[in-house]
Order: sequence, then C-alpha cells, then structure tokens
Amino acid sequence: MNNVVKGLILYVAGWAAFHYGLFPLMKPTEPTWLVNRYVYFLMFVFYCIGFNLILKLKPPIALNALVVWLIGLYFYKAVLFPPIPWTLLITYMMLWTIGTFLYISQDPKTFAEFRAPIVKTVVGEYKTARIVVFIALPVLVGFGTYKSLEPSFQEPVELRTVHPAPPATTKVHGKSYTLEGLQNPFRVDEQDNYVDGGPGGSALPIEGKFPFLDADKHEYMKSITEGGTIFFQNCHYCHGDQLNGLGMFSHVFNPTPANFIDPGTIAMLRESFLFWRVSKGGPGLPNESTPWSSAMPPWEEHLKTEEIWKVILFEYWYTGWHPRTFDEESSSGGE
Amino acid sequence: MFNSEARGIKWLSGALVLAVALLFVPGLSGQAIAKEVFAEQAFAEQAFAKEVLAEEEGAEEGGEPKVEWSQDVFYKDWEGNPLKGPVSGPPAPELGETDYNNYEFAPSRMLLWMANQQHLYFGSFVLAVPIFCMLIEFVGIRTKESDPILSEKYDRLAQDLMKVSLTAYSWTAILGGILLFTFITLFPGFFKYMAGIFRPVMHVYALMFLAESGVLYVYYYGWEKMKNDPFLKWVHCSLSVLLNLIGTVLMYLANSWATFMQAPGGIDEQGRFLGNIWHVIHSTLWNPVGVHRILGNIVFGGGIVGAYAAYHYLTAKTAEEKAHYDWVCYIAMFIAIFGLIPLPFAGYWLMKEVYAFRQQMGITLMGGIMAWLFIIQAVMIGLLFFGANSYLHNSMSRVKGSHRYMKYAKYMVLLLIVCFTMWMTPHTIVMTPAELKDMGGAQHPIVGNFGVMSAKNTAVNLMITCTILCFLLYQRSNKKIKVSWATQGNSWITAIFILAAINIVFLGVYGYLLPANQRVGLSVPQVTSTLTTLFAGTAINISMFKDADSYGEIEWGTQSRVATYAIFLLAISFTWLMGLMGYIRSAVRLFWHVTEVVRDNSPDAYTLTIGEAGKMLTFNALFVWVQFVIVFWVGSLTAKKIPSKVPEGVPVPAQQQQ
Repeated sequence: MNNVVKGLILYVAGWAAFHYGLFPLMKPTEPTWLVNRYVYFLMFVFYCIGFNLILKLKPPIALNALVVWLIGLYFYKAVLFPPIPWTLLITYMMLWTIGTFLYISQDPKTFAEFRAPIVKTVVGEYKTARIVVFIALPVLVGFGTYKSLEPSFQEPVELRTVHPAPPATTKVHGKSYTLEGLQNPFRVDEQDNYVDGGPGGSALPIEGKFPFLDADKHEYMKSITEGGTIFFQNCHYCHGDQLNGLGMFSHVFNPTPANFIDPGTIAMLRESFLFWRVSKGGPGLPNESTPWSSAMPPWEEHLKTEEIWKVILFEYWYTGWHPRTFDEESSSGGE
Repeated sequence: MFNSEARGIKWLSGALVLAVALLFVPGLSGQAIAKEVFAEQAFAEQAFAKEVLAEEEGAEEGGEPKVEWSQDVFYKDWEGNPLKGPVSGPPAPELGETDYNNYEFAPSRMLLWMANQQHLYFGSFVLAVPIFCMLIEFVGIRTKESDPILSEKYDRLAQDLMKVSLTAYSWTAILGGILLFTFITLFPGFFKYMAGIFRPVMHVYALMFLAESGVLYVYYYGWEKMKNDPFLKWVHCSLSVLLNLIGTVLMYLANSWATFMQAPGGIDEQGRFLGNIWHVIHSTLWNPVGVHRILGNIVFGGGIVGAYAAYHYLTAKTAEEKAHYDWVCYIAMFIAIFGLIPLPFAGYWLMKEVYAFRQQMGITLMGGIMAWLFIIQAVMIGLLFFGANSYLHNSMSRVKGSHRYMKYAKYMVLLLIVCFTMWMTPHTIVMTPAELKDMGGAQHPIVGNFGVMSAKNTAVNLMITCTILCFLLYQRSNKKIKVSWATQGNSWITAIFILAAINIVFLGVYGYLLPANQRVGLSVPQVTSTLTTLFAGTAINISMFKDADSYGEIEWGTQSRVATYAIFLLAISFTWLMGLMGYIRSAVRLFWHVTEVVRDNSPDAYTLTIGEAGKMLTFNALFVWVQFVIVFWVGSLTAKKIPSKVPEGVPVPAQQQQ
C-alpha cells in the first residue's frame, strides 16, 4: 500500500479512536496534572509523530503541512477550553497558517515538493483530485456565502477599549485632585507591608501576612475592614464576593463587570485611576472611544471621599495585587 | 571566495555589534543621560542664585523685581520641587478660528500629516544610507589586503548607494520645504508659538543642514579621487563618520519639536518659555525617540535597499547581474535584521518614558483609544519577524553545509508561532454576548493570561532570541570549524542560548507574582539575556570562524523566490509600520498641539477612526514608494553603461581584452 494512503488511514483512524474513545476519559470534571485535555492533546500529537517514525512512512511535505494545519485547528476548536471567541480563533488560525507556510517554504526544495501535487492537480495529472477539488471549491464558496448572508440575531461585536484614559485632574466632593502623583491617604506602604505597633509602637513595616483577627488594633487593617464592609454593602452585587466580576447581577451586563482578580485590571493601574473611575462611574467616562457601556454609578454621589479610598484599599488587599507605581525619578525631570 | 566574503561579513558584524552597543549606552545607563542630573543641578543652582539676586535688587530699589520667575511644567530641582526659571517668552496663545487656514479639497490636518510623513520617510532613508555606506566602506577597506576584488565590490556598492542617496537628499530637502510651507500656511498661529520658542534651534538646524550638504558633496564627489591612496581613503571613510554625526544631530534637533509637543519641558503652565533652550530640546522623550528612530532608520533603509535589489534580482537578465543583486539583498538584509533585533527594546524604553510622563497618555496608547492600533502594530511586528526568519531560512538552505542546521528550522518556526500567539492575544477579546457566556467571563482562564505585559515581554524576547540563533546559524552554515576550542565554543553558545531562554521564561512567569512596578523591572534582565545572546553569541561565533574550512561557496544568484518576496514584504511592512507608529505617537496628544499647554482648536481636532487612519497610512506608504521608484530611476540614469563598441578593423590591445 502506498505510504501516503497508509498514513492517511492511520491519521483518520487514530484521530477517531482518540477523539471518541480517549478524549471523554481525559476530561473529568476535576482534571488533574496527568488527566486533563491538554495531556490528551500531547498524547495525540505523539501518536501522530510516533507512527510515522516507527513505520518509517516519510510522508510528503504536503501531507505534513495538511496534518500540522489540522492539528492546530483541532486544538483551538475542540481541545482548548472554555471555547475561545471566533475573533480569537481566526487570529490564532491565521498565525498557525502562516506558521505552516513558513514550514513548507523554509527552503526551495520543500516548497517545490509542496507545490508539486497542487500543480499536478491543477494541470490534470491527478484527474480524480482535480474533479473533487473543482467541485468542492465552488460548493464551499457557496456554503460560505450562504452562512455569511444567513440572518443572525446576535448582537454585533464591537471593538471596545477597556481602559479609558483618565483626565489630568478630577473634582470630587468639591475638591479638585491632580491624578498624577495622587496617593491613597490610607495606604501605609506601597507594597502593603504593614506598620506594626500602632500609635507609639515601632513604625517599621513588617513583611508578610497580617493576622486578620487583630485587625481592629491596627490602623491599616481597620481601613481595610471598613473598605470591605462598604464593598459588600455596595459593590459585590456586580463585582462578586470574590471580586472576580461574577456578582449576582453580573450576567445581565455586557460587558460584564471588571474582574479584579485578573492581572490585567487593577494590578495594572494606579490607585488614583481607580479613585477617578469609582468616583465618576460610567457617566464620567471621557468622550473618546464611546460607547463605553459601563453601568457603574458615580459613587461620589453615594460614598464619602475616604470611603472610596478605603474600598480601593480593600480591593488591592483582597486580591493580593499592588497598585501600579512608577519610579519617582522617571516621572520628573529632577533627580 | 565565500571565505573572503565571510571575512567581510565578519567585519560587518563586528562593526554592527559595536554600533548597536554604542547606541544602547544611553538606554543601558538608565536615567543617567536622559536626566542629565548634573546639568539640572547646575541650572537649579544658577536659577536660585539669580532669584536671590533679583529679589535683592528688587528690595534695594524698593520696587518689584524686574524678572518674573515661573515654575517649569516638567523639570524639578533636587528637592523635587518644580524648577523655576525666568519668564522669557509670551504665554501660549488661545488659538481661534483665524489661526487656522484650510483648502476646500482636504482637511488641513491631513495635508500636514501627508507632508510630514513623506518628509520623514525620505529623511529616514537619507539618514540611514550614510550609516550603510560608512559600514560597507569600512568593511571594504579592511578586506582590501586579503581580497582586493571583494573590497572593490564593497566600495562600489557603497558608492552606488550614496549616488541614490544624493538624489534622495535633494528630494528630502524639497519635501522639508513643502512641510514647512504647509505648516506656516495652514497652522500660522501654532507655528508662531513654536517658532518663538525654537528660534535658536531653527537657525542651528539650518546651519547643520548646510554642514551636512557640504560634507555629503565632498564625500560623494571626492570618492574617486580619494580612493587609491590608503591615507586619503581613511580620510574619506572618516568623512562618512562626520556625515553620520551631523545627520544624527540634525535628526535629534528635528525630533525636539515632536517630543516637545508630546511631553513639553522648559516652559511654565501658561506655555511661557523659561529661558533655557536645552530644557525645551531635551524633554523627557527626546532620548528614547532619538534612539528608536536611529534603529528604525537603519531597518527602513535596509528594507528599501533590499527591495531595490530584490526587484533587480527578479528582473535581471544575466547570471552576473543576478549574482550581484542577490549579494546586495544579502548585505541589505544583514544590516536591516541587525537593526530590527534591538528595535523593540528601544520602543519599550520609549513607552516606559511615556507612561512615566503621563499615566493618561500611556493608557490612551496601550489600553484606551489607540489600543486597537497597537494590536495592528503587533501584527505588523510579527510579519517582520516572520519575513526576516523566512529570508534567513531560505537563504541558509542554498548554502552548502547548511543541511546540518536546516533540520532545526521547523522547530524555530514552531517557537516563533507559539510566541507570536502569546504576543497577539489581546487583553480585551472581541466577542459576542453568547461567546462571553460560553467563556464564563470577560477573561479566558488560559489564554487570558497572555494578555498582560509579562507574557508579551517573554514572547517578544524569545522571538528575538530565536531570530538571533537563526542569524548565527546562517553565518556559520558553510563553515567547517577548525579552531582547537570548537567544542568549548559550541558549548558556550548552546549554554548562553539555553540559559537565556530559561531566564526569560522564568522571569516571565515570576512576573505574574510581583506587583506592577517590580514587574516592569523584570524586563531589564529579560532584555539583557536577549542582548547577551546577540553580543556574546555573535562574538563567540565569529571568533570560531578563524581558519575555518568552507563546505563550498555561496552560489550567488540562487536566492529563492520566497526569500525575494520576503524582502518585499519586509520593506512594505517597515514603511507601513513606521507610518502607523508615527501616527499613534502623534495622535496620542488628542486635542492638544502641545500637551496640556496649547489646545488644538482647529476643526480637525478629532481622532480618526481606525479605518480612516488605515487609509491614510496606506496612501502615505504607497505614495512614498512611488517616489522611491522615481528616485531610484533617476539614480540609475547616470549608471547606465553604454557598451563601448569597438570600431571594426581596429585591433583591441591585449590589456583591454577581457
């Protein structure tokens, strides 16, 4: 039997066995380090490489390219979980396609070898292949056209910008604040090292976790617990009791409320940004890049300035992130 | 033959390594140069003394001091207080309708954008070519003794490039004139303010332009005369150094306008000049923009020369021509890729300074209204690296002996793609509400982790390291290493690359566990690891070529079509990317002419949609390429050799029979 046909059979049969036999077993409700969908995928890749090596099939580059491309598609479509949005799928597959092209065009020999079956199909040397391809192509194009014209009732996607640029100054409760260099008045240390001893005690910061039960004895922890109380009274309905943006109301919003656990939200921002964002809410967002689609109320109408700062303090403390800071020297012309 | 050519490349590599190292001194020394601590202190002390003196005089005269003092918007003294300076200019004007003119057929802003971009493209090219010529001529001189034919080839190439540059130089000056006239006529109010502050700079700029022209003409027209005498040849090569120095000063002076507009210094809140022109020029973004542009120019210049050679390669009729242009492609790509490797680091430095200047500006760029343009930029950068690697793989494959390394090409491609997938994953994914529900939240639990800087830095450093590795393998692909310490050398190179990769990945993962300000610091050791592979790897690699045997010469003229088209892809991508990043850098000022000082009250003070901006960028890129084609055509007019026909019946002297 021709090596190509042999290879094709092994690919298809192997994939069917893996996908329908092994895959369901490898995605339990509680995956472990060894039993999970990604280990399954690696096993499948090793199978594909393995049988080619063991049987010394030496497949032509065109078949290799096809398999490489399909394996990428299989990973992004079926293995990666939760499923990724189609915009991301297209981006990833575009990259994978470029990668496959780089692989086949790495030298003129492999490229010529890759082109050979295509040329032979086009010029009619492979008659059956030509018939199949020339029938399948218009059908595929027709199907694509049908799918793109078929009415859909989904909301259209929109290009959102996630972080609005803050203004240089903001006015909260009648007082004007310059955001550049604005600090949280309740923050003891940039890196959340806590000051021990309280009034009269040592003023040296202590690294490490602070005993939460003694919270009331320390100014810093007092501010945090107060901030936490305010958070659970006002914010957790949307931002969630774990601050992950999955509060009880979150599912009716699009976009969903900010997830503070994510490294791309408060961990990347200065406290002054949060102060402005919380105080002014959705209505206070700048004109550029509208619509912002933010449902957050302007909290300055409901909370005092200190309360806003305390909530911010709590959000950082709870998530373990530290607010973004910059070296003093690089943000000014002085030393 | 190839051995001797490799010697040339060895010198070229050495010269390039040295040049890049020198260029990065300001970046590596952190704030030392950027901040000019001593200059600030001296100025602050001087200002303080003046202030005391003025107060004393005022007190003696019993009236108000004559000199008014005001606070700088950016500079601070050593105590962290805003630096004071004597008010030496009028406040920034509140621009109104009468301060703007326009034509019916196009918005003023678009016209100025076009004029500016075209001038910048050409300026970039004419600044890059002398750098090329300097390096190539130097290599030519160094190889003269060992291989006079190759030396002559290098010299001829440098001269040919200079010839094109000469036409492009006049063209640049014309475009500069058009830019100036467009600026004066369409934005007279704003120009008046800028000219009031930059008055001395404008004069120095004009004088430097004169000096540049003088040196350029002597350099080009003196080529033949200074060619044969070794001493004069060195003098000639030194002229190219001088030419580059003047060119760099010119570029830095021109940059000062743009960097002042984006992040002003040396003025007070009302926009009044505070008497120190150095503060105005040397604002916070001046150094990073300068370094970024020098590297960008080299890459851009390499791309254009490469595309020019690639075009001639495809249309060449004789084997000789094909071989020549193949070789020119090789030299151009060699220089361009060498510039491309450190370019992202300079960009990173620039962005760091932008963030430090104004958080607002940084967020507008990376997370706000400009963020989608940055995604496009990420795609373009990926294309550059793909194009560069594709060229390297294809070029390497035709070298005899490359079979030893070609087997690794597919793994390098895999690494590039995986890294680029991380690089391209946006933080905010475009999705429908149904997809959002499927995903369980706005962030994907797996690929969502790639949306932050720790992942991006790791990805881009690995991509660059991979390209460097490819570059080293290409250099040694036909060498049979003979030095006694070959095993140690190979072990060192392997160890450097493996350790660098481990360090980059480790720091990338570690970055997730650190606060943002410390995380930013991790990029320094990551970059250092990458640069170590570049400098140490290249140095060890080149040292190992001593007495190396060759598997065979490179057969010039056999460059594959894929490699040739990869060069076109690189050239076009460079052009478009330059336009894109220039637009982003400039548009981030939003409704300001000078950030927070002079407001843009023109009818054009809006931010373009992505599509509109894209159209303008594409138009600018196409337009400049049309001009490049014309300039190269003009340059080729003098180069056309009329085949000398020997009159019938006249015997040809033996020495002329070749």
